Amino acid sequence: MKKENTAFRYLINLVAIIILMVVFVVLSFHSNNTLKLKVAPAVWQCCYLIIMAASLNLVLGYLGQLSLGHCGFMAVGAYTSALISLALQRAGFYTEKNSIQFAITLIISIVAAAVVAALIGVIVGIPALRLKGDYLAIITLGFGMIIVNLINNIPFCGQQGLAEGAASSALYANGLGFTNDEKQSFMWVGVLIVVLCMTTMVMFVRSKFGRVIRAIRDNEIATSATGNDISYYKILTFVFSAFFAGIAGALYSCANVSLATTSFAFTNGSILNSVFIVVTVVVGGMGSMTGSVIAAIGMFLLNYTIKNGSWVNALPEFLKNVFTYPMLVYSIALVIVILFRPKGIMGDKELSLFDIPGYPKRIASYFKNKKAAKEV
Amino acid sequence: MKKRFLSVLLTGTLALSLTACGAAKEAAPAAEPAAETAEATEAAAPEGDTITLGLIGPMTGSLAVYGTHIQSGAELAIEQINADGGVKIGDKAYMLTTEVKDDQGDSTECLNSINALVSDGISLVIGSATSGCTSAITSVANSEGVCLITPSGTSDSLTTTMDYVFRTCFKDSFQGELAAKYAKDEGFSKIGIVYCSADTYSAGLRDAFTAAAGKLGLEIVAEESVASMAEVDYSNQFNKMVSAGAELVFTPFYYDVMGPYLVPQARQAGFSGVLLGADGVDNTETTIPDGMDLSVYNDVLFVNHYATELATSDVSSKFVTTYTDKYGETPNNFDALGYDAVLVYKAAMEKAGSADGAAVQAALADTSVVYDCASGTFSFDETGTPIKTGVLVGYSYEAGASEVTKTAIKVLSVE
Amino acid sequence: MSTFMQFITTGLRLGSVYALIALGYTMVYGIIKLINFAHGDFIMVGGYTLFFTIPAFMKLGLPGWAAVFIAIIVCAVVGMLVELLAYRPVRKRGNNLTSLITAIAMSFILENLAQAIPAIGPDPRVPYMLFNNDIKIGSFSISVATLITIVVSAIIMIGLYQFTQKTKIGRAMRCVSEDKQAAVLMGINVNKVIIITFAIGAGLAAVAALMYIAQYPKVTTTMGATLGIYAFVSAVLGGIGSLPGAMLGGIIIGIVQSGTSTYISSSMADTFVYLILIVVLMVKPAGILGKNIGEKV
Repeated sequence: MKKENTAFRYLINLVAIIILMVVFVVLSFHSNNTLKLKVAPAVWQCCYLIIMAASLNLVLGYLGQLSLGHCGFMAVGAYTSALISLALQRAGFYTEKNSIQFAITLIISIVAAAVVAALIGVIVGIPALRLKGDYLAIITLGFGMIIVNLINNIPFCGQQGLAEGAASSALYANGLGFTNDEKQSFMWVGVLIVVLCMTTMVMFVRSKFGRVIRAIRDNEIATSATGNDISYYKILTFVFSAFFAGIAGALYSCANVSLATTSFAFTNGSILNSVFIVVTVVVGGMGSMTGSVIAAIGMFLLNYTIKNGSWVNALPEFLKNVFTYPMLVYSIALVIVILFRPKGIMGDKELSLFDIPGYPKRIASYFKNKKAAKEV
Repeated sequence: MKKRFLSVLLTGTLALSLTACGAAKEAAPAAEPAAETAEATEAAAPEGDTITLGLIGPMTGSLAVYGTHIQSGAELAIEQINADGGVKIGDKAYMLTTEVKDDQGDSTECLNSINALVSDGISLVIGSATSGCTSAITSVANSEGVCLITPSGTSDSLTTTMDYVFRTCFKDSFQGELAAKYAKDEGFSKIGIVYCSADTYSAGLRDAFTAAAGKLGLEIVAEESVASMAEVDYSNQFNKMVSAGAELVFTPFYYDVMGPYLVPQARQAGFSGVLLGADGVDNTETTIPDGMDLSVYNDVLFVNHYATELATSDVSSKFVTTYTDKYGETPNNFDALGYDAVLVYKAAMEKAGSADGAAVQAALADTSVVYDCASGTFSFDETGTPIKTGVLVGYSYEAGASEVTKTAIKVLSVE
Repeated sequence: MSTFMQFITTGLRLGSVYALIALGYTMVYGIIKLINFAHGDFIMVGGYTLFFTIPAFMKLGLPGWAAVFIAIIVCAVVGMLVELLAYRPVRKRGNNLTSLITAIAMSFILENLAQAIPAIGPDPRVPYMLFNNDIKIGSFSISVATLITIVVSAIIMIGLYQFTQKTKIGRAMRCVSEDKQAAVLMGINVNKVIIITFAIGAGLAAVAALMYIAQYPKVTTTMGATLGIYAFVSAVLGGIGSLPGAMLGGIIIGIVQSGTSTYISSSMADTFVYLILIVVLMVKPAGILGKNIGEKV
């Protein structure tokens, strides 16, 4: 690939990010009921789902290890940030969301959430040195369960602490939890955090570290033979992944006025749990960051519109009855995606803005080849 | 390729046919598609002939039993109101209908549900079933000026700072206090508690009971907990109750735990004292396995909203008979509380002369209004929690009988 | 009863159920290396079948437990359908992870389908209480159902072992488990072997459902999730693919759960279960009785 070509690609991405940010900043200051009630909460939910999927992709797609307890890190991040913001608010550090003090609080909460989750990530990373595959999967599942169980038993942050009691309304009024109006006016903050996180993760994957990690996935023994410290890289990946899950947790406590540990369980009724984050990564394509983003947004929209979309009302009566069971529709859709795109939507390729103009040609040639293959 | 299509097709048709036949049976007359009516209310409620109530609850998933019962209770009330000529606002009668949203017991989904309802122009909402979910949406209700009646969110703090939030159930501290007072009055001195630490209902009641017991000078000799409401074995916990010498154990659980698991296992572990629960224990008689030794259910008592034989009005008994006729099973508390939420809305709308959120809120906030409901006669206090009297109900079994009997023992009050 | 005795009885009671479920789990995992998340839901299917058939059988004057044969057939059919409609097409094209996701999806589909059927519905159901008596030896009392569960597990364990060692199809299963490609070359119909494995695994789930409801008489549509996870943990702890390991793992998990709630803190039982699992796997990565074979994913 030519040098100027790469520079051009960076330029395109930069321009795209700037356009994206401008759009969201404009939207943030636009007052509209649909925007406030539907778009803003949806954007916030997509924000943490994207970061969750992308950060799990580091472990699952690039390091090649199945982790079934990723939401545990998110829980750690969510509770850490909520407690810190609540403490600062009780201490009288800030009273208004629209103040510089709150901005500082937000930054402190997010950084603390990320750091604490990363520390937990070290603990989870250690078994990864000795175990692989399904055994590691069950260990990470165990860690996720332990984290939730421990949070339930800590008196000041169990289900009693923040979802319940006087603290719950305090969290709404002054803690990290945003109201609908605030969600809309701070929408650009969420998007900015996602852009920053995604950029860091993509840079990580493309760096020397990323290459070593992929080498470990493909052949561990060969990688260690070339003089790389496998243990260091494995733990590093787990820590990095947990770090971003912590940030996602902080965003979660912004988007929700009250926290409950059931939201971070291994499985539960909704789409935010450890199992579904794995599903998002696989559907998006393991080893594809853009795939994770597309899958996270796609899965969110599917889930959201099954329940709240007006198109459901246009369906024939008996289909409408089926759609009263959102998980059923969702699961069938999953099986269909897996059947037709077993490697995920993106496989291990990345979607590049630079390549988009070439796509119609490529799709046409794909079908041509297929036809040719059938005729032969 | 062909096989893939075939398998998708087969799975699809299987799923569709099963759910379609299932849901078709469930579809009650009141559950007519809410699409057109939602549009009708969007402009301004009094223009159309129908008023749509939003209903949020866990309709699928592991908590589905709560949501579906609230829904069937509410739909029964709507059916009866519509049959009686609807809600009379001014000189015009309006039919009621519901728009049901499924939150799957998750707070994020619950938030999405209420936002969707608000943007559909609905200003009267019933929901959600659990305190955790409800606490996620009270702020939206308040800031958007939408009335919210939670049928079963018992946590004290839900209604305190939120003007637009009301409930039809007890709050935790009230029930805990009643239970503790009963224990004190009957002269029990050694009290034990078994509760679930991860469930807001159970843990909230435990906190309230402990606080009240402390005030009344009751000695709590042992306290044990389980990690989830899906726990199946309570033997160890009750073994500890026995060794601590507890005479009465406070058990804030639901009937699906009491009937098959907790009561028989407590007796098997050698506990022979009184098991005192809260309103969740009601309907335990429906979850007693056949072939079980029924004498274990003696001395199982609970605090409840109403008992049909003690009812001061005929609303409770009418509710029980009509419900049993319609659905073929005895109603539980969730049915009654969902039913009541609709009755309260009807009364408030008629008083306000409007179906507008702010007007109905003003009517609901009037603490002098007395609502005659299935779960008893009550009026709201300043926070929006009903002031009810509790009834102590107990199970007993006489040797030779074919089932346990449920009898109201006495009326409880805090004073 | 003394606290210690109570702790042992409760541990055995829970553990025997986990052991029985883990046998079916480990069997399927051992052959196709798929964490079958839908296994717990097969138990749910069995539980509901028993809920309906036990009273019917008793009305006919037959012993209630004989209804398990109907449940075995129903579960086996469901298991084979799941394999035919979902797992097989995905396995052909995808990798282990796509199969895993299909398993998760199938689990949700089964749960939600069950909720959609009005006769099953979301309400909890309580089936007939079988084997409802205790045996007392001195101050020690244990329920008959627990004893039967342990005996049934042992019989099934030995039976499955003999089956995989002695019969032709059993040997074919082991061959598929070792190396699918080689199995094809040996003239084994791999798809047939796998579908039989699923039928047996799901049939075992029906037996487990019988013993489960005999001790914990309640069936709900979501009961499979928790049970499935505990069974999977038991199977991994004992050494996945090892039949005696599954039994041992189940009993250990039951005892640890009961011990934690008796001696430490009853709401921390989960934490200790997983801690034990983590410690064991760190020391012996293949599980207690597992053979340390190469990495599979």
